Amino acid sequence: MDYNIPKNLKYSPSHEWILIENEEGIIGITDYAQDQLGDIVYVEFPEVGEEFSNGESIAEIESVKAVEEFNIPVSGKIIEINDEINENPELVNESPYEKGWLARIKLANLSELENLLSSENYISQINKELED
Amino acid sequence: MNTSDLRKTPLNSRHKEIGAKMTEFGGWEMPVSYEGIISEHKYVRDVAGVFDISHMGEFLLEGEDVKTLLQTLMVNDLRLLEPSKGQYSCICYENGTVVDDCIYYEENPTTYRMIVNASNREKDFKWINSHIDNLEVTIKDLTSERSRLAFQGPKTDELLNPLTDIDVSDINRFYFRKCKLDGISIFIARTGYTGEKGFELSASKDNIEDIFNKLLDTEAKPIGLGARDSLRLEACYSLYGHEISDKITPIEANIGWVVKQKDDIDYIGKNILLKQKNEGTSRIIVGLTLKDPGIMRQNYKVFVDGKEIGYLTSGGYSPTLEKSIGLALIQSEYNELEKEVDIQIRKKMKKAEVVSTPFYQNV
Repeated sequence: MDYNIPKNLKYSPSHEWILIENEEGIIGITDYAQDQLGDIVYVEFPEVGEEFSNGESIAEIESVKAVEEFNIPVSGKIIEINDEINENPELVNESPYEKGWLARIKLANLSELENLLSSENYISQINKELED
Repeated sequence: MNTSDLRKTPLNSRHKEIGAKMTEFGGWEMPVSYEGIISEHKYVRDVAGVFDISHMGEFLLEGEDVKTLLQTLMVNDLRLLEPSKGQYSCICYENGTVVDDCIYYEENPTTYRMIVNASNREKDFKWINSHIDNLEVTIKDLTSERSRLAFQGPKTDELLNPLTDIDVSDINRFYFRKCKLDGISIFIARTGYTGEKGFELSASKDNIEDIFNKLLDTEAKPIGLGARDSLRLEACYSLYGHEISDKITPIEANIGWVVKQKDDIDYIGKNILLKQKNEGTSRIIVGLTLKDPGIMRQNYKVFVDGKEIGYLTSGGYSPTLEKSIGLALIQSEYNELEKEVDIQIRKKMKKAEVVSTPFYQNV
């Protein structure tokens, strides 16, 4: 498998990642997810200040092929979105963990992090998906 | 559907070897993209691309009465044909809606080669057979024993000529020749579904991988169904199940040019289609571009002043225009250029406008 799945991130089964810094998190989609979607041409973002429960759809990611919902991996409030994506949506394909991050959130409940996958567990999940 | 139930073209393993992502289409497992839909799309517009279209149906119709049969099935007029020429047409039901669209090529006045949509192949074969009656016509389904490629882009003549034993530049649009490509017998027509110059060709399934590889040895790149769809949408070619279907007539689909008067010949759907052509229809397919950010997709609803007036038959991202384009079946009274409409994209309304079509054409 050629996908980049960094060890320092937590993952959701629906292919989102989160980087934790104190009680804030940066979220985005994984390398596997961007590859499955193909060329991303638009992201419909939520408003800063909106609050969501874990697993709720907060954005829509439009690729040439299809539209996919982006689910927030843990409950929280949007405190920043990545404006660069409006001008250059291809950053999500080119740099899904760095320049292509989608939003910064304030976590509502730190204990929800325990429900997320480690990089090892997420890799096992995508290996299974690739076999099916 | 499990992928093991899907039909595979002779190039299936070759596609996977060169890195294709595969998808289901019309009951077949087909490449959707190789290096990315946008770059493949642009490569066809700028250079040349090779498409596996072996999923499409290929029939051979022979016999004294073939032309008579086709004249009753087709809305286009076969008297415009001559040997070595092809024609686009729709096969319609009595109510004017569409069984399928197709291209047939006159090899001689008693032999025609027909290319139909993959998903309609069996339906078409039965439909044609059921109208033979006492006519002297035989129809053979060559889909499995032969395979088909499209070779499209501005450089195709230049890239093909060193390989063929004829000068392909001599083939005019919609004409075909039988020739050799590096010693292999091929049928080659100057037709296509991209809005670029180019060819569609057919050969024995045993030779298709050789031909595919030889074309890829030139500057041409392999192109998947993803770019095939975005290219045809820019060029505004109808796609069965989208712009034309058993619910939509060719007049409503805004391809009325294909429906001919054929004064002295009765054909299926003639009465209603000519009436629609002369008097107009209450709904019509128009081109839309999205002015707000976002992407229009098939089945999204179209509104004017809060009133629903139609829906998108196709929609997507145009790599050439770098914005979302679409075709929509709307109430005809709203068909005016620059008319502003609203598109419902999930919970939001976004502004679009009616524009002239095609969005792109360079044949």
